[in-house]
Amino acid sequence: MTNPVLLIVVPLLLAFLSVALKNNKKQLLFIAAVFNVVGVFIIENGSYVIGGFRAPYGINLNLDAYSHLAVLVINILFLLIITMSNEKTKEFSTVLLVALAGLNGMLLTGDLFNLFVFLEIVSITGYILSTESKKYKYSFNYLILGTIGSGLYLFGLIILYAIFGSLNMADISFKMLSYDTGKLVVPIFLMFIGLAVEAKLIPFNGWVRGVYGNANSLIGSLFASVYAGTILFVFGRVFGQVLVLSEYLVAVFVAIGVITLIAGEVAAFSKNKIREILLFSSIAQSGLVALLFVTGLIFPTVLQLLNNIITKAVMFTIAGKISDDADTDEADKLKGIFANNKIIGVSFTVSALSLIGLPLFYGFYSKINLLLGLFSKINYFVAAFILLATIIEGAYFIRLLVKLWTPGEEGKESNIKFVTDRKVEFDFNKKVIAFMLSLIILLAGISPSLVKTNLFAMNKLLNEENPSYMFELKGGM
Amino acid sequence: MDFNALILFMVFSAVLSYLVSKSNIKLGAYSTILFSLISLIILFLGRNNIGNEFSLLYMNFRVTAIGWYFSLIMILIYSMTAFFNPYWMEKILYPSSYNFLYLFSLAATVGLFFAADLITLFIFWEVVVWSSTFIVPLGKSRKAAVVYFTISSIGSMATLFAIMFVYSKSGTFDINEAFKFLASEPLTATFVFFTFITAGLTKIGIFPFHIWLPLAHGNAPHTFSPVLSGGLVKMGAFIAYLSVGILPAYKAFSTSMTIMGIPFQIYLLMVLGAISIVVGTLMAIKQDDVKKLIAYSSVANGGYILIGILMMDQVTFAGSLMHIFNHAIASAAAFLTIAAIAHRTKTTKISELGGMIHKMPVSYVVYLISIISLAGIPPMGGFVSKWLIVQGLASKGLIFIAFAAFFGSIGSFLYVFRPLAGLFLGQLAPKYENIKPSTLVMKIPMVILASMSVFFGIFPKYLLETIGEIQTSIGIDPIMINGDTITTINGVLNTNKVAAIFGFGFVISLMIFLVLPKSRKVGLMDTYTSAEFIYTPELYHYANSFYAPFERLYKNHPSVEKFLGKFAVKTEELGILVNSLFFSHKPSVTVLWVMAIATLIFLGGVDI
Repeated sequence: MTNPVLLIVVPLLLAFLSVALKNNKKQLLFIAAVFNVVGVFIIENGSYVIGGFRAPYGINLNLDAYSHLAVLVINILFLLIITMSNEKTKEFSTVLLVALAGLNGMLLTGDLFNLFVFLEIVSITGYILSTESKKYKYSFNYLILGTIGSGLYLFGLIILYAIFGSLNMADISFKMLSYDTGKLVVPIFLMFIGLAVEAKLIPFNGWVRGVYGNANSLIGSLFASVYAGTILFVFGRVFGQVLVLSEYLVAVFVAIGVITLIAGEVAAFSKNKIREILLFSSIAQSGLVALLFVTGLIFPTVLQLLNNIITKAVMFTIAGKISDDADTDEADKLKGIFANNKIIGVSFTVSALSLIGLPLFYGFYSKINLLLGLFSKINYFVAAFILLATIIEGAYFIRLLVKLWTPGEEGKESNIKFVTDRKVEFDFNKKVIAFMLSLIILLAGISPSLVKTNLFAMNKLLNEENPSYMFELKGGM
Repeated sequence: MDFNALILFMVFSAVLSYLVSKSNIKLGAYSTILFSLISLIILFLGRNNIGNEFSLLYMNFRVTAIGWYFSLIMILIYSMTAFFNPYWMEKILYPSSYNFLYLFSLAATVGLFFAADLITLFIFWEVVVWSSTFIVPLGKSRKAAVVYFTISSIGSMATLFAIMFVYSKSGTFDINEAFKFLASEPLTATFVFFTFITAGLTKIGIFPFHIWLPLAHGNAPHTFSPVLSGGLVKMGAFIAYLSVGILPAYKAFSTSMTIMGIPFQIYLLMVLGAISIVVGTLMAIKQDDVKKLIAYSSVANGGYILIGILMMDQVTFAGSLMHIFNHAIASAAAFLTIAAIAHRTKTTKISELGGMIHKMPVSYVVYLISIISLAGIPPMGGFVSKWLIVQGLASKGLIFIAFAAFFGSIGSFLYVFRPLAGLFLGQLAPKYENIKPSTLVMKIPMVILASMSVFFGIFPKYLLETIGEIQTSIGIDPIMINGDTITTINGVLNTNKVAAIFGFGFVISLMIFLVLPKSRKVGLMDTYTSAEFIYTPELYHYANSFYAPFERLYKNHPSVEKFLGKFAVKTEELGILVNSLFFSHKPSVTVLWVMAIATLIFLGGVDI
C-alpha cells in the first residue's frame, strides 16, 4: 500500500528545498505537481495512521472514494493551471509548493483539528498569493476575514472537543449519532462560519471581490478552481458526512446557500468586468454546492462541483490573461476579442455553456442529476431557485459571450471592423490545455457514461445513499 | 433509410459543412443547401418509418406522424432558406461557424420532433436554443440574442421543472407514459400543464413572451430570419400539442370549472393566444421595418396556431396544423424576399425603399402571394387554414376568441398593405435606379414557396389528407374532405370554386388594365410644391405617416418591453444593493456580519 501522506510530504519537502535551490524553483514546483498527479493513481484506499497512535487517539489520513476523487481532481487541476500560466509561477514557487501540500492535507486528513492546521496553511498561502496584484488593502481584508473565520472554526471545534473528547472525524460522527444534535447548534454554526469565509458564502465573503477581481491568470484560476474546489470538498466532508445536523441547522444552511446562489447571480448580472462576473458566478456556485451538500446529496453535488471548478479554471485563466495583456477586463472594451483568438474563444464558450448547464456539455449532466436528487427529496422550492438562478446565469453569460464574439453597434451588422484594437496573445500552453479541457467537457457531455464508469470513485457515491466514508473505514478505528 | 441514420447524417453534415467552409466559404454555403435538401428527401421518402423506435447514445426516439409532419416543415424551410446562404458568406463575421450552427440546429429540431422521452425532448430543445442564439448576434443586434436566450430559458426552465416533477411522480421519462397519472389528479395536472407549456408559449411568442420575436427576427442575419420565423417558432406549437395531446389535459380538467364549455385552464391560454393576435396585429401595423412587421405578424399567427392546437378537435386542430405549414412557407418566403431586397439595397426600412416592383418583379409577386396567405385572404393556403380555425371556434360558440381571430384578419389587411404600397409600389428612390434584380439561385426558393402557398390554397386536400391521418393517429376525428370540398358543421368550402372566382376577378381586372389607356410615368423628383423644389425623396414617400391617424388611436399603449425594462433596472439595483451589503471592500462590514450572526447564535441558538 502506498501511503498517501507522500502527497503532502513531498511538496512540503520540495518547498524547503526550493528555498535553497532558488534557480530551480520552477522546476521543483513542476516536479511536485507531476509527482502528485502520478501518486494519486498509485495510492490505495484505506486509513493511514500518522505518528504511531491508533485513531481516534492519533492522527490519521482517510483515503476513501470521496477523498480519492477529490485529490485526483485537485492535483490534476493544479498541474494544469500551473502549466497554463507557466510564465507566472517562478515568483511564487515556494508558496505554491506549500499550498499544494496544504491542499492535499485538507482533503486527506481524518482529524478535525488537523484540518484546521492545514486550513491555516492554505489560507496563509492564499494571503501571500493575493498580494501579487499589489492591492494590499484587499489582501489585508482577506487576511482579517480569513483569520476571524479560522478562529471561529477553532472555537467551535474546541466546544465539540469538550463535549465528545475527540477530534477524530469518524469518532465524533459516531458519538453525535447518539447525542441530542439540537444542543450542538453553537459549535456547529461557529465551524460553519469558519469554513463559510473560505467557501465564499454570504455574508462572510467580503474579501472575494477584491482578491478574485484583481487576480492574474495564475492566481485567479488557482483560487477559483483549486482553492475553491478543495474548500468545498472539505465543506462536503464536514457538513455533509461528519457532523450530524439538526433540522433547524439544515434549514438555516440551505437558506444561506440559496441566498448566496441568488445574490451571487444577481450581482454577477449587474457587472461588466469579466473577472467580476466570474467571481460572482463562483460565489453563486459555492452557495449551490454548499446547500446541496447540506441537503445530503453527495453524488450530484460532486458532479456540479467538478463542473464548476473545471470550467472556472479555464475561464479565469483566460480572463486573467486578457486583463494582463489588454490592461482591462471590461467586456465593453473587449468587444470581439475572440475573433482573433478563436481556440481560446471556443474553450471559454464551451466552459460557460457547461456552467450554465446546457445540453451536450458536461454541466447538463450534473444539473439533471442534482435536480433528480432534489426532486427525490421533495425539495421543490430549492429546485425552483436553482432553475431561477440558471435563467439569470444564462442571461449574463450569453451577454458576455455575445460581446466577446460579435462586435458591433446596435442596428449595424456585426463586422470585423468593430473588433477592439486591444491585443491579447495566448501562448501555446494555454491554448492546448484550455482546448483539451473544453474537449473533455464536451465528451463528458455527449457521453456521460464515461464520467460514470471511468471515475472509479463515482460509482460508489452513486450507489450508496450514505456516504461511504464513515461506515466503510470507520475513520481507521 | 432509417431515421437514426438520418439524424446522424444531419449531425455529421453540420461538421462536414464546417470543414468544407474552412477551405472554401462559398462551397461550404452550397453544402448547406445540398445537405438540407438530401435530408428533406430522406425524410419525405421515409414516411414508412412512422412507428419506428430507436436510440442514439442515451437519447431515445420514436417516429410519430405528427413529428414527421413537423420535421418536414422544418427541413423544408431550412433547405429553402439555405439557397440564400452563399450570398451572405462575405457579410457574416463567422461564415464557417454559421454554416455549422445552421445545419446543427436543423439536426436538433428533427431530434426534438422524434423524441421519445422528455429528457431527449429537453436536450434537443436547448440545443436548438443555444445554437440559434449564436447566429442571431451576427446580425444587427447583440441585445436581441440576449433577450432571445433569456426568454427562451425562462420557458425551458419552467418546462424542465415540469419534466422533473412528472418524473418524480411517475418514475418515467417516456413521453407517452409519464403524463398518464395526471388524468386523475386535476390539481397537479393544472400545475404541470402551465409549467410544461411555458417553453412552447415563449417559443411561439405568445403574449407576454412575444417581445423577443421582433427583436430577434427583425435583427437576425437576413438569411436566418426566415428560419426563425418560419421554422423555429413551430417548435413551440409542438410543445403546445404535447401539453394538450399527450398530457391528458381535457381528461384531467373534465371536472374543473369551464368557460364557454372549455376548461378554464385551457381557456386562459386561449385568451393569451387571442391577446397575441390583437397585439401582434396592432404592432405590425405600426412598423416601418419590414422584418419587424413580419415578426409581429408571426406573433399574431402564433396566436391562431396556439388556439387551434389547444382545441384538440376535428376542425380547429386540423386548421391549426395546416396553418403551421402555411405560415411557415409564407413567412419564410416573405422574409426571403426582404432578404433579396436587402441584398441589393442594404436596408429593410419601408421609408427608405419604394418602387421595387420595377427592379425586382419576381420578389414582388412572391411577397404579394405570401403576405396575402399570411393575412388569410383567398385563394392562398393561409385562407383555408384560417377559415378552418374560425369555423371551429364559431361552431363551439367561442365568441370572444373568434372575435379576436376576425380582428386579426381585418387588421392584417392593414399591415399587409403597408410594405406592399411603400416598398414595392410607389416611386423608386433615385439611388436605387441602377440596382440589379435578385439572382437566379435566390429566385428558386422564393418561387417554390410561393407556388406552394397558391397550390395548397387551391388544392388543400393534399395537405389535409396527411393532417387527417395525424388526427387519426392521435385519436381524434379526422377532418372531413371530399375532393377539394371541406365539410364542417357550419358549412362547406370548395377551394376550387373560390380559386375560380378569384381567377375570374383577376382576368376581368387584367382586361380593364389592358383596355384602359396607359398611365404616364413621372419621376419621383419631377415635381415642385409651393413654388419650391424639394430635394429630400423621403418626404415624398408613400409610407410616410402611412397609418398615422389609426396609430394615434393606440399611441400610448402599455407595453411589456417597458415593464421588463423596469424589471431589469430593478434587478441591477438589487445587484448594487447586494454588493454594498455583502461585497464591500471594507473588512469591517463582513466582520460586523460575522459578529452579528455569532451573537445571534449565542443568544438564541442554545435552546433550539
